Amino acid sequence: MEELKKGGIFTISDLQNVRINIGEIVEEEEEWEPMGPHPMPRIATLRDWDFKLLNRYKPFYAPVCDMCCLCTYGKCDLTGNKKGACGIRMDAQQGRIVLLACLVGCSAHCGHGRHLLHDMIKKFGRDMPIDFGPEVNIEAPLTRLVCGIKPKTIGDYDRVFSYVEEQIVQLADALHTGQEGSYMDFESKALHMGMLDSLNKEAADIIQIACYGMPSGFPGDGPDVPFVDVGIGTIDTNKAVIIVIGHNVPPSADIGVYLTENDLEDKVELGGICCTSIDTTRVYKKAKIVSALGRQLRVLRAGIADVVVIDEQCIRADVLELCQRTQSPMIATNDKAMHGLVNRTDDDPDKIVDDLVSGKVPGVIILEPDQVGEVAVRTALQMDKKRRSLKFILSDDEFKYYVNDCILCGGCTLACPNGLRIGEANKSAAAGNIKPLADLFDICVGCGRCEQVCKKHIPIVDVMTKAAYPQLKEEKGRMRIGRGPIWDSEIREAGAPLVLGTIPGIIAPIGCGNYPNGTKDAWLIVKEFAERNYIVTLTGCMAIDCALWKDEDGKTIYEAHHGGFDAGGVINIGSCVSNAHIHDAAIKVASIFAGRPLRGNYEEIADYILSRVGACGVAWGAMSQKAASIATGFNRLGVPAVVGPHGAKYRRAFMSRPDIKEDWKLIDASDGSDVYVEPGPQDLLVACETVEEALPMMAKLCFRPSDTDRGRSIKLTHYIDLNQKYLSAYPPDWHLFVRVASDLPIATRDVLLKKLEDEQDWKIDWKKKKIEEGPIRGYNPSFNPTNLERLIRRKK
Amino acid sequence: MGIEIPFDVATIAGPEAGDVAPPEVIGSYISSASRPLLAVGSEMLRDEFFIEIAIEIGKKGIPIAATGHSMRGFVEKGYTENVYYYNLHELTNCLRDPNWKGLDGAGNYDFVIFYGIIYYYASQMLSCLKNFATDPLMRTVSIDRYYHPNARMSFTNVMPRMEEEYKKMLNKLVESIKG
Ligand code: SF4
Ligand code: SF4
Ligand code: SF4
Repeated sequence: MEELKKGGIFTISDLQNVRINIGEIVEEEEEWEPMGPHPMPRIATLRDWDFKLLNRYKPFYAPVCDMCCLCTYGKCDLTGNKKGACGIRMDAQQGRIVLLACLVGCSAHCGHGRHLLHDMIKKFGRDMPIDFGPEVNIEAPLTRLVCGIKPKTIGDYDRVFSYVEEQIVQLADALHTGQEGSYMDFESKALHMGMLDSLNKEAADIIQIACYGMPSGFPGDGPDVPFVDVGIGTIDTNKAVIIVIGHNVPPSADIGVYLTENDLEDKVELGGICCTSIDTTRVYKKAKIVSALGRQLRVLRAGIADVVVIDEQCIRADVLELCQRTQSPMIATNDKAMHGLVNRTDDDPDKIVDDLVSGKVPGVIILEPDQVGEVAVRTALQMDKKRRSLKFILSDDEFKYYVNDCILCGGCTLACPNGLRIGEANKSAAAGNIKPLADLFDICVGCGRCEQVCKKHIPIVDVMTKAAYPQLKEEKGRMRIGRGPIWDSEIREAGAPLVLGTIPGIIAPIGCGNYPNGTKDAWLIVKEFAERNYIVTLTGCMAIDCALWKDEDGKTIYEAHHGGFDAGGVINIGSCVSNAHIHDAAIKVASIFAGRPLRGNYEEIADYILSRVGACGVAWGAMSQKAASIATGFNRLGVPAVVGPHGAKYRRAFMSRPDIKEDWKLIDASDGSDVYVEPGPQDLLVACETVEEALPMMAKLCFRPSDTDRGRSIKLTHYIDLNQKYLSAYPPDWHLFVRVASDLPIATRDVLLKKLEDEQDWKIDWKKKKIEEGPIRGYNPSFNPTNLERLIRRKK
Repeated sequence: MGIEIPFDVATIAGPEAGDVAPPEVIGSYISSASRPLLAVGSEMLRDEFFIEIAIEIGKKGIPIAATGHSMRGFVEKGYTENVYYYNLHELTNCLRDPNWKGLDGAGNYDFVIFYGIIYYYASQMLSCLKNFATDPLMRTVSIDRYYHPNARMSFTNVMPRMEEEYKKMLNKLVESIKG
C-alpha cells in the first residue's frame, strides 16, 4: 500500500490496510472491508450519479418568489426565467434556494450532532464504545458507506463531523453571487448536502444510543419495545409539569435522572413536544409525549407547563412571550436558541430557582445539560403550587362573547395557511353549534397568523381550543418508544421478500406536522399500508400524530400492529435523527442480503436501492428546511418521497417522464445489454393534493424493475386497489407495470387481460393466457438492473 | 378588473401579477384558446354543483385532467369521457414541456383552467407555468373562489357568505365559453 499523500487525498493501491488522512490526524484503520471507490466524497465525486438521477428526474421548479434580493445589484426580477444582473437565471436561482434550504437543514443536524458529541465526550469520554449488541453488527451503515469508517467509539465521530463541516462550507460557498450558474449543478450540490445530512443524523443518533443506552440490538431491546403515552390528555396536571421542546435530548435526560435519583417520578410529569419528547422516552421510562410540532402553540397557551425547557430546532420563536403569558418560567439550554435571556450556567441553582419562581426573570439560559435537571424540577415543584389557581382555557362566557363578536370579515381566512373558514365556524358556534369550530382544531396547524389580523382582536386559537377542549382532554394515545436501528437478523429475513417484491414495500412516514387536513391523515397512511403488509417505519412528528387516533377496538395503530421490521410492522424508529436508520435499513438490504460492498461505495449502493428496494418516504406535513435536506438525502440514495400539498412550496420536485422512452434505459449488469423498463420509481419527489391521492401514489412509487412476477402482482394488486378505493377508478398507467401475464394478480387476471386487450390493444393468447404483444418489456427473472456501466460483469 | 390581495395574503410573487376578471371576460378568454385544458382538484368535491360545472365545461369540448382525488366526482356522476386522472405536480411537469403529447396524444395545450384546487398548491403550479412555460406562452386562468396572482386571470376572493354569488359567477362563466 502506498503512503497517503499529504493534504487529505486518498491514494489506494491494493485496498489492504487503508489510511485515512483528514488533515491533522493520520490513523491506521484495521481492515474490515476493502475500501470502495468513493470514501468521503467531495462535491464533484458523485456528480455523475447525480446527473444520472437528474436527467431522469428533471428538476421541476415552482418559484415562491419571482425575485432575488441576495446582493446589491438587485432586487432582480427573474419572472419568465429571466436573468438577474449577475447572470443567474430563474431556474438556477431556484436551485440555489433549494441548496440554501438543504444547507440550513443539514447544518441543523450537523450542529446538533456536533453539540451532542461535545457534551457526550465531556460526560462519558471519547472512548465510549459503540456497541449495539449481537443483533446489530453493522452499527453505522451510512458512516461506513460515505466515510469508509467503522466507528468503534464516539470519539471516532470527530472525523466524521470534520468531513461534513468542511463539505458544508464548500457547498455554502457555492451559494455566493458569481459562483454556480447551472441548476443541474445546484441540484447535484443539494443532493450532496442531503447525503451529508443523512450522515449527520446517523452520527447523532449513534452517539446518543451509545451514551444513553437507548434501545439497539441487545436482547430485550426489541423489536417490540415498550409503549408510551401520547396526547395532551395523558398529562396529569395534578402534578408539577415540565414540558421540553426541541430535538437535543441531554437536558431532558438530566431531568429524568434528577427525578429518578430524588424519588420524584410520581410528583412531576415530564412531557415533551416534537423530537426531544421521543428521545426522552428512550432514556426515561416515565416521560410522556404531549404532542408533535403542530400543537406547540396550543399546548403552551393551555398553560399546562409549570416549567418549559427548550433545546434546539422547531421551537416557536415567540416561545418566551408565550411562557410569560401563562407564567411558565422558561429554561433555554442551547446556544442556538437563547431568546435574549441571561446566561446563568454555573450559577448557584438556589439563586436561579428563586429568580424563576419569584418571577424576577421570565427565564434563564443553562448551557450545561447536567445542570438543567435540578433547576427545572425544583422550579416546577414550586411553580405548581403558585400556578394551581390559574386558568388559561376561556370561560364559557368569554367564549360566547368572542364568537358573537366575529363580524365574518374573512381576514383570518386570508391569513391562514390552510385557508380555514373560521368566521363561518364562529357563526355556527354563536348559534349554539360548536362542532364546526371544534373540528377546525385538528386541521389548524397552530401558527397564530389569524389572530394577528383579526380586527376584533378575537383570540382565535383560544376560541378553537375551547371548542375542542372536551375532546382534547380525552386525547390519549399510545405509541412505541423509538427503537433505533433495524436488526441485522431482521434484514436477513425481510431482505429477500423486499427485493423480490413479496413484501410490497417500506413506507416511511417522517417529518413535520404541516398537514393540509389534520393529523388523521397520518394515521390513515400508516393503517392503510400496515394492513396491506407493507413495512411502515416512522420517525418524528408523523410517528407521534398517527398515535392520536384509534380503531373500532380502541387500539392505536402501534397497538394493532407488531413492531418488527417485517410485513405489517409499524415501527417507531425514533426522532428526526433516527430516520437515518431507514436509510440504513435500505443500505443493509444491499449489503447483508445482496452482499454488496459497503465501504466508501455510495454510488453502487444507491444504484442498487433505486432499482431494487421498494421504499417510499412520505413527509405529509413537511415544513422545515431539515425536511428539505432529509428528502434530498433519501433521493440521492434512490428512495423516492411523497409530500403533502404544502410541500409544493419547497419549489423543487423531481419527477420523471414515463412517456420519454430514452429516460428509462437501464443496463442489465449480467451482459451489458440495454433494457428499456417501466417507470419504477416514477418520481423521486412529488406532491399530492390530498391523502386520498397520496395513498395510491405511494403504492406506485414502490414498483422497482427488479420485482419478480409474484412481487409485481402483489404490488399491482395494491396499486389498483388503492386507486379504486380512493379515486374510484383504475389507475390510467397500470398497464405500464405489466410485463407478463404472471405479473397480474391471479384473482383478477382474466379481467385485467381483457382490459389490456380492449383498452391498450395488447395481443393476448387466450388459450395459453399469455400476453403476446404490448408490454414495454418481457419478464426476465435474472435481470440485473443497473445505471452504472462499471458494474457490467460480462459484455455481450 | 380591479386590485385584489391574494387569498393567502403573502402570495405576492413579484412584478407580474394576474388580473382579477369577471366571469364573462374569463369565459371569452378561454374561448380564444385553441387547445384548452381544465385541471380540476379535490376541492371541487365539496358540493355537487361544482362537479356539474366541471362537466358543463367538459361538454364544451374541453378535456379534463382530474387531479387530487377529484376523479371520484366524475365517476359518481357517470361522466368520464374526456376525463383523465393526473397528479397535478406531474401534469404541470408535462405542461411546461412544449413537446409533451398531451392527454390525447395530440400535443400540448396552450391554455389551462385551474379549478377546485387547494389554493397554495395551485398557486405553485401556476408559478411554474408563468415562469417556465413561456415559449410558446401557456395561458392560465383560475376560476376558483380565490384571487390567484400567478394566473394571468382569476376571480376575486369570494368569502363564504358569498357562496351563492360564486355559483352565479360559475354559471355565467360556463355560458360565456363558446363550445
Ligand atoms: S444575486 Fe444575482 S439575481 Fe440575486 S440580486 Fe444579486 S444580481 Fe440579482
Ligand atoms: S392558527 Fe390555525 S386557524 Fe389560525 S391561521 Fe394558523 S392554521 Fe389557520
Ligand atoms: S378575522 Fe376575526 S372578525 Fe374576521 S372573520 Fe376572522 S375571527 Fe371573525
